[in-house]
Amino acid sequence: MRYIHFDIPLQSKKVFFLVGVLSLLCQYVGAQTSSSRVFTQESAKEEDYFKIMRLPAPEGTVLEVGGLCTLPNGELAVTTRRGDIFIVENPTSQKPHFRKFASGLHEVLGIAYKNGALYCAQRGELTKITDTNNDGKADVFQTIAALPVTGNYCEYNYGPKIAADGSFFITCNLAFPEDEWWRPYSKAPWRGWMLHIQEDGRIEPWATGMRSPAGIGMIDNEMFYADNQGDWIGSGGIIHVKKGAFTGNPAGLVWTSQANSPLKLTQEQLFAKVSPRFQKNENGQDIRPLNVADEKFTTLFELKKSFPEIALPAVWLPHGILGISNSEIVTIPEGAFGPFAGQMLIGDQGQSKIMRVFMEKVNGEYQGAAWDFRSGFQSGVLRLAWAADNSLFVGETNRGWGSAGEATQGLQRLVWNNKVPFEMLAVRAMPDGFEIEFTKPVVRKSAADISSYAVESFIYKYHPVYGSPPVNTQKCAIKGVKVSEDGLKVRIAVDNLRKNYIHTISLPGVVETENSFSLVHPTTYYTLNNIPDGEKLSLTQTNTSKTTAAVPVKKTLADKTSGASKAGSSNTADKAAASGSKTPSFEVVKPLLTKYTCLACHSPDKRQVGPAYAEVAKRNYTHDQIVNLIHDPQPENWPDYATPMPPMPQVPREDALKIAAWINSLSK
Amino acid sequence: MKALDEVVLVYVADLKRITLPDFIKNSLCLIICILGLQSPAYSQTVLPLTDLTGFKPVSGNSWQIVGDVTADLDKDNRLTPVKGTGVLLNLPDKKRAESDLISNFEHGDVDLELDFMLAKKSNSGVYLQGQYEVQLEDSWGVKTPTSGNMGGIYERWDEKQLIGQQGYQGYAPRQNAGKAPGLWQHLKIKFQAPRFGADGRKTQNAKMLLVVLNGVNIHENVELLGPTRGALSQEEIATGPLRLQGDHGAIAFRNIRITNYDKPRAELIDLQYNIYKGKFDKAPDFSKLPPEAKGTSAILTSTVNRIPNEFLIQYQGKLRVPQAGEYTFNLTSPGGVGILKVNNNEIAKVVGETGQGKITLPVGDISFELLYSKFVSYIKPILGLTIAGPGFREYLVSDATTIKDPVDPIFVPAPTNTLLRSFIDLPEGQRLTHAISVGNPEQLHYAFDFDRGALALAWRGPFMDATPMWQDRGDGSSRPLGMLQPFGKPTLLFGKLSSEQALWPTDTTGSNYRPKGYTLDPQDIPTFQYQVHGAVVTDIIRVIDNGKGLQRTLTVQNSPANFYARLASGKKIEVYSKNMYLIDDKAYYLRLDEADNAKPIVRNMAGSQELIIPVQNKLSYSVIF
Repeated sequence: MRYIHFDIPLQSKKVFFLVGVLSLLCQYVGAQTSSSRVFTQESAKEEDYFKIMRLPAPEGTVLEVGGLCTLPNGELAVTTRRGDIFIVENPTSQKPHFRKFASGLHEVLGIAYKNGALYCAQRGELTKITDTNNDGKADVFQTIAALPVTGNYCEYNYGPKIAADGSFFITCNLAFPEDEWWRPYSKAPWRGWMLHIQEDGRIEPWATGMRSPAGIGMIDNEMFYADNQGDWIGSGGIIHVKKGAFTGNPAGLVWTSQANSPLKLTQEQLFAKVSPRFQKNENGQDIRPLNVADEKFTTLFELKKSFPEIALPAVWLPHGILGISNSEIVTIPEGAFGPFAGQMLIGDQGQSKIMRVFMEKVNGEYQGAAWDFRSGFQSGVLRLAWAADNSLFVGETNRGWGSAGEATQGLQRLVWNNKVPFEMLAVRAMPDGFEIEFTKPVVRKSAADISSYAVESFIYKYHPVYGSPPVNTQKCAIKGVKVSEDGLKVRIAVDNLRKNYIHTISLPGVVETENSFSLVHPTTYYTLNNIPDGEKLSLTQTNTSKTTAAVPVKKTLADKTSGASKAGSSNTADKAAASGSKTPSFEVVKPLLTKYTCLACHSPDKRQVGPAYAEVAKRNYTHDQIVNLIHDPQPENWPDYATPMPPMPQVPREDALKIAAWINSLSK
Repeated sequence: MKALDEVVLVYVADLKRITLPDFIKNSLCLIICILGLQSPAYSQTVLPLTDLTGFKPVSGNSWQIVGDVTADLDKDNRLTPVKGTGVLLNLPDKKRAESDLISNFEHGDVDLELDFMLAKKSNSGVYLQGQYEVQLEDSWGVKTPTSGNMGGIYERWDEKQLIGQQGYQGYAPRQNAGKAPGLWQHLKIKFQAPRFGADGRKTQNAKMLLVVLNGVNIHENVELLGPTRGALSQEEIATGPLRLQGDHGAIAFRNIRITNYDKPRAELIDLQYNIYKGKFDKAPDFSKLPPEAKGTSAILTSTVNRIPNEFLIQYQGKLRVPQAGEYTFNLTSPGGVGILKVNNNEIAKVVGETGQGKITLPVGDISFELLYSKFVSYIKPILGLTIAGPGFREYLVSDATTIKDPVDPIFVPAPTNTLLRSFIDLPEGQRLTHAISVGNPEQLHYAFDFDRGALALAWRGPFMDATPMWQDRGDGSSRPLGMLQPFGKPTLLFGKLSSEQALWPTDTTGSNYRPKGYTLDPQDIPTFQYQVHGAVVTDIIRVIDNGKGLQRTLTVQNSPANFYARLASGKKIEVYSKNMYLIDDKAYYLRLDEADNAKPIVRNMAGSQELIIPVQNKLSYSVIF
């Protein structure tokens, strides 16, 4: 069986975020085929295929990137949150040349090129910018559409994305109050909306339900956007935005009474079905709604039966695992990144990484699978743009929110070395399970063994609380597996498929033929909005049994510790941790921290999105207090950290206590 | 008496601004705004200026009482008076020999506030105690002022030195915040007199605590080591008269306000403390509670306590009240509840960070009790208390405590023509959300409001402070730096009036106003474009006369009938000369440069005056200040 090497070198500058649910992996660590070998070599990692390179800029250039686009001649337009637009000549060379094209704009958070002009969204307007006398500097700044704002700090505008007919789409962030930070509002027209704007300035309100729509993308001439987890938004994800859609956050619904609104759903109608939980304390101050552990709740897909305007995420990006603040969505063009051409990449501003998405249409609706792709960027990833040589420019900033990575801003470039990684290329829904396509042929025995796979599914609540824990988690038994002749596809028949649920599919046991490497990213999350009709797998075609009786492999040290989290293991470290007689070591809690996505935001000793655990230890909480704070965090306790921790009631008390004990041990 | 003077003023203001870093609050750069925030009008006198009896008889007779004055921009030293009272005018000429004017009253620590107007090329000054001069001079156009220019603290003089090296310890103002001659300017000085010991030797230097000219802090905490040149006496003194220079040119003063701080301050004595463990959101029954610790303390402080959280410090003592009157207390007690009881009255309960309480007290030793209960775990204990009362400056009676670390400000300079879009908070409080500021090396900058096509603000000095929008998340706004010249609430420049008396529209309703953006010329000077009432307008604002004014030129195509521009609105609009006006009680000049032969109209509206003019195709005017 593979010896999966978990490499998290805490002292190094790069932070790797493990994808996947480790407990599932651990469960199958023991299984092996009689003819498999135990390898101690490392499997390939992201950086073996995709290198992050610098774009040198003159010292002192403040590049808090808000917008990126590649011009037809290969130059790169970069906009910044300080209102500058740079044109970078020869951006992929050793000496890119920065030319200041424009300045003095108001926080430019997107840029696009059309017919010799640049179009950008600033705080107050959609602007067309042109250099009419060819001196390399902009001289005409035409207001295409002025957008009303109240003057709140968070009323950002993102975009534009340009449709095939030349019209523009932008999205508008809600306003966030200082005190009730959990309840953003829309008090100027179209805050919380996606707008369709013509060249002559006509504004057509397109859809609402948006909270912080920083990531938008035009895919196949359709608008998609990714929101940030927060109130009403259980987790991030990519949503296909058709005209008249409601994507979840009710703040923008205040404008649906306008004559030109494409949807008529009101807040009152929505709140009649889902309580907004306006609560006050004894002093009459509003208090934020908290997650209730055991309650009846609804989901967005259930509510869609009452409100057909609701747009469900096409592909959920589970919070903390595949990002915490999703951003730019792009399609990988033909000729770029090898087998992944045609698929989508999404940035994440909090975890400073990029995820990959494969989408298909089932019953006419988009759905698909998401994986991690590349982590380790120096700051929060906000914008992506393809270079002429098919490398990927990555624009970064984390000012005001914090992120993984050691920098507060960045302009980097992701380059593929033309070696094909062993990855799941695509996952397609089947009437009775899934078909997984690989980039390289698999070793039949590893792929045919149903114990090489693990599937479970879950969903998020739809409620006014900030974020949602995963709920209704259930396992899905694998009934059978069929490997294609060429070894590039595997079809698995899976029990307990649930429509609209996110299906976690892990393939820890599958290896490829060339080097026997396991998958660079062995776990994917498939959003099963629709189950297709068609032929089911005939079980005679499949391998339906586990391989020869699972012989527990002699556990290596890593296996021992990673297995500690699994109940029933005879591991002594596990016993000790359970009995509480010894403080759990980092090796014991690391898998827990990964499983519960703690490491998405925390590191033992470095400030990331959240405080370092060493800092938490200084607070001298009791173990019980830490357990309560995991379940019900109090962001007010950490005023210097901008991103609130969502409630994590899904962490069982026993595991939370281990984590607490380890955290508190850091203060000694 | 505790020697807190040095430390007092900075920390007093900062203490009031202690805002705990709640996690989405952006860190603004610390403005050390010294006092005046809570200072009540204790002992404030407004000099009546109905005659000269408040002043010593003068040798010459250049001083007189008048009702108003006008200067002449083209003639040196010309101030033309209008009969009346309320304005103190110095107008030396062949018949009126010049001299200084010296008040009958004497002062020590004092706040002085006044308006003044200088004639062209005039030179005057204000001498605190007759000894320390703040220079008033027509330095209009000087970009790097010296101590001898407008607002400088004049140099000291040692006659015994070599020629050319006799002047020393003069302090230039931080910028030339002065305005054109013939405009009323505003000066505020907070002065601290030198201190002397029982043996008469000086124990502390005099200080200019703060000098504010036209809203700009030009000196802060400048220590004066000795009298400036031409002082009444070379010996420093505890009190001295106010002296206005009159031997160098024509100047007018009005609205002279003096606040004396010449009384002893109230002191806290016999402070004892008890410390209790527990979480209290109101005063507990102390009789049932044994204290964890107790003791005496020389000063109010939270450091007597060691318990990190859920504690209550009870201070008891006496407030020694030296003169009867109203006393104001500002309490800072974050992370729980603070309760202040003076003379057995609960006068302040702070839930949050800060609070204030007032009470009228008689002379004597008055009972004093302060409770600080802290129970919010993540907030550091801080206890701060200031006291203000009749005749003494507000001062800090608690220990100088630490506050949030200040951040490096982010300034945007304008070495070339520079644009910066941002939110702008106007002096009157309105936030512009679609504004652009244009800065230039002549240091006369302006802000244009895209929402109304309005010239919203102009200012002279450094360009902008972008810290509010570029520090941390920011709030999207930037601050103009330097001396501001507001133009009132921004409204549309253009409008359709059904008659010459019709009200000017208050907003853009019905105007079809649409901003179209701007173009930049090769020097990056913007031309703004917009549409209003069907007309297409180009609007370009240029600096003229090396930074003395802004000229705004508008072209209008397709102007409708009854089309007017409202050039100005203010308290008063006076004619200065043909096609030139003084706006808003001589705050700035407005000159009509080009108007297609249209005639400007000054009209009286309710409570204000307006300058309007019909417009067809072209309009050009300048604001000069």
